[in-house]
Amino acid sequence: MRDWCAFVRAHLHLPELAPERESRIVRELAAQLEDFYREAIVGGATEADADAHACRQIHDWERMAREVRLADRRHARPRYDRIVEPRLERFVAPPVASGSPVPAVTRGGRVVLANILRDTRYAVRQLLRTPGFSSVAVLTLALGIGASSAIFSVVNAVLLRPMPYPQSHDLVRVHEILQKFGRFSVAPATFLDWRAQNTVFERIVAMNTTGATLVGAGGAERLSGGLVSWDTFEMLRVQPALGRTFRADEEVPGKDNVIVVSHGMWQRRLGSDPTIVGQSLTLNGRAITIVGVMPAAFSFMGDVDFWQPLALPPNPSRGGHFLGVIARLKPGVGIVQAGAEMKAISERLALQYPSASANESAEVVGLHESVVAGIRPALVTLLAAVGIVILIACANVANLLLVRASVRGKEMAIRTALGAGRARLVLQMLCESLALAVAGGSIGLLLAYLAIQPIQTLSAGSIPRAATISIDGTVLLFAVVVSVATGILFGLAPAWQASRNTIGTVLKEGGRSSTASSGRWVRNSLLVAEVGLSIVLLVGATLLLRSFSRLINVDPGFRPEHVLAFRVALPPAAYPQGHHRIAFFDRLLQSLDALPEITSAGMTQSLPMRGDYVLSFTIQGQPAPKPNEEPSANYRVVSPGYFETIGIPLLRGRTVTERDGEKAPKVAVVDQKFVDRYFPDRDPIGQGIDIGNGTDGFFEIVGVVGGIRDDSLEANPAPTMYIPFAQNTFSGMWVVARTPGDPAALPAAVRQTIRSIDSTLPAFAMAPLTTVVSESVAQRRFSMLLLGVFAAIALFLAAVGLYGVVAYTVSQRTQEIGLRMAIGAQRNDVLRLVVGGGMKLALLGVVIGLVVALALGRLIATLLYEVTPFDPVSYSATIFVLLAVCALACYVPARRAMRVDPIVALRQD
Amino acid sequence: MFSSELKKGSTEMLILALLESQPRHGYEIGKLIESRSGGRLTFALPTLYPTLLRLENRGWIKGRWVEKAGQRERCFYRLTPEGRRVLADRQENWKAYVAAVNEIMGTGDA
Repeated sequence: MRDWCAFVRAHLHLPELAPERESRIVRELAAQLEDFYREAIVGGATEADADAHACRQIHDWERMAREVRLADRRHARPRYDRIVEPRLERFVAPPVASGSPVPAVTRGGRVVLANILRDTRYAVRQLLRTPGFSSVAVLTLALGIGASSAIFSVVNAVLLRPMPYPQSHDLVRVHEILQKFGRFSVAPATFLDWRAQNTVFERIVAMNTTGATLVGAGGAERLSGGLVSWDTFEMLRVQPALGRTFRADEEVPGKDNVIVVSHGMWQRRLGSDPTIVGQSLTLNGRAITIVGVMPAAFSFMGDVDFWQPLALPPNPSRGGHFLGVIARLKPGVGIVQAGAEMKAISERLALQYPSASANESAEVVGLHESVVAGIRPALVTLLAAVGIVILIACANVANLLLVRASVRGKEMAIRTALGAGRARLVLQMLCESLALAVAGGSIGLLLAYLAIQPIQTLSAGSIPRAATISIDGTVLLFAVVVSVATGILFGLAPAWQASRNTIGTVLKEGGRSSTASSGRWVRNSLLVAEVGLSIVLLVGATLLLRSFSRLINVDPGFRPEHVLAFRVALPPAAYPQGHHRIAFFDRLLQSLDALPEITSAGMTQSLPMRGDYVLSFTIQGQPAPKPNEEPSANYRVVSPGYFETIGIPLLRGRTVTERDGEKAPKVAVVDQKFVDRYFPDRDPIGQGIDIGNGTDGFFEIVGVVGGIRDDSLEANPAPTMYIPFAQNTFSGMWVVARTPGDPAALPAAVRQTIRSIDSTLPAFAMAPLTTVVSESVAQRRFSMLLLGVFAAIALFLAAVGLYGVVAYTVSQRTQEIGLRMAIGAQRNDVLRLVVGGGMKLALLGVVIGLVVALALGRLIATLLYEVTPFDPVSYSATIFVLLAVCALACYVPARRAMRVDPIVALRQD
Repeated sequence: MFSSELKKGSTEMLILALLESQPRHGYEIGKLIESRSGGRLTFALPTLYPTLLRLENRGWIKGRWVEKAGQRERCFYRLTPEGRRVLADRQENWKAYVAAVNEIMGTGDA
């Protein structure tokens, strides 16, 4: 008798059926053919006849296969499995030739690899088959990963990347601590003592900013420069690209006519001339020799164009604090040890020089820390915010996957029935979520890349090291790690859920919505979490928005609108004496006043929001205070017309006039804050103050003006005294000009005016005063805008999530809704049912989110201005907006539910 | 012999009816249909077997491999409760249909 199994197998081709199923059918058909054969034998047929009889039973194998396929559709394998899988398996684990057994370990590894390869490809095909689902999921993830990568690129550049100098962790900043002002710049004499007496630093250097006017073929240009101790470059351990840096003997007045230029300046102004070293330039009217060019990557003291030796006079001041001090720790010395020694030295100096340095101390801070300390709270807040956005995105995609998993429950159950282990199913689902995450991560990275430019523009000037923000290896690694982590995070729950289905539960539920009930709990929890997280973010953003709006609406005490501000610096060589400077500026102000588009002009040495200048003073007729305990106030040297131009109101007496010349009686105007603090109970007009500005005698107070916010919009007005320019001249002044029109239209006329007086003088830092004020809040604007964007993304994602869950619920409950309508429910009842169900979840999320937001509120307190972290208005506004959006997200699917036709719904199986 | 159209509608019912009293294997079902109809009804394997699969997939019958003493292993089908319900339904329908047809043809008992 022939082998009937082999016979059937040879004729019946059922590759689309699962192997187990196919083999059962073969066995059964073989058994029946054998029965036909045996019957024939029993009936007396020869073996050959019996065999022919049995074979005749199925004459059309094609038809047989077709019929079986049709009847057994439900056991068909996915096309991918039956076409690609065998080839893939042959590729990964080629058939083993007998006699050369493959070690078990290798075989196991190959199988796992084959599984992963197959699952990944299967996953990609599955995702491509449902483009709607996939694109929503990928875009959600792209938003989350993109936002976080963008912020991380900022954090990386600003907080994480070390300073661009070798062994930069040994670099520290040394501050003087003044009793009255806290951390402060260092007095030159103190610096020299530190340099001589310390034992903890390899090198300690001082620096100060400077500027210079370079007159060349292209006209006069203002350069920014740094005055630095001779060994600054050695301390930084940076070599010049061309030439040399400074020598110790160049740190002496008169021998400091040398500069090292930046790479940028070398390219821009010096034509990248490789033989430039040794050549001379005329800076501020002095011949200066270029001794070196720094490399392109080198940056120190911001974007300065050149460095010059800081030549301190033989007996420098101990009272004027204007130096920044940086040092490199000796090997093995820590910041704490260095701080202790510097403190000890300073306290010794304070005892030694009680008149100038009483009560002074010192502090050592890491250089990197001192640069980034101010921005850290804002960046950490933003990083936390994008973390929340990622979590929301994860919850969203997890929800989408859960819905999908319940639709695909049958597929999973059948895989289980066919012998796929639970781990195998979880792996397959994870492959799908990872494929989504990788796609989302790639697009997210692209979004982050596109965001770098706007972020740099937004952060310029308000965030240190902003120019170095970029997508580098660290950011790439971050994006990859975040993508994989989110893929696992949002994929785990659905994978677990799906793998729990057994063939029994699926068939029991008729193959429909197998995980509907068990998945609902998970889905609802995720949604509640999403809404809760959104609330936290929205509250944060609203608080920042409110505090920002309070800040920009605060009255600065002056009227910056329609005012152009710019700086003019007179070279000491050309304008050595006070009367030279007075003559120039008088002429400049008169010429500006004469311009038809300018209504008034004035000047000050210290523009609001652009620098501070504080001096101590004593009041005539009062006992002399102890050293370093004199009262102090903002010190402003102003021209006639300054108050009118900038819009500071006169309250009493008079302002500065043309009569207050160099030789005229010395006068001062003070502001209301000054009066409140120092003359609370008497008339200040006619009182005398002795100002420590290097002049002798008392200034008589002749007027009182309104206080202004000079430091920043958030700092309250500080006591200020104004002195006529003619009585204490400066070479660098800020000029302000008021126009009835747009101040941005003034610069050409202004430059022309200056050129007509002195063609070698550039006007620089020219900007409308409103821009100056708005730049002072740039950092807040940066945090607020970014947090606002993230909150908007969060709100959008939460709304999409809510919509998805409610829409799914509606589709699952169509029959129930139909039944309700059939027995008399009105459309409004249905609306209430659907919207109510969604809003219940939203409300729960809101409550939980509010609790979390209240608990976290204190963390952003430092970023707020005149708004408490528990501001009821912000909270109510947020709740209102969120609930409104949630209601909309519920209403859209609810409308669909309202249109359910009861007849159609009930007829559905 | 009857036309295949006529047979098609009743194959399922016949199989269910044969399984009502006891579990049977595929060959036996084919033979029983042939013998009980006096050879007037025969179903070829390519018709009968896919029908069995279809019924099983609908959950009306259930196959189980059984090895009886001295015989080779065979797949025995039995009615599921669901199949029993479907059979009752179909028989009811069939009777009503036949009665109606007879009525019209004038060949009825009544």
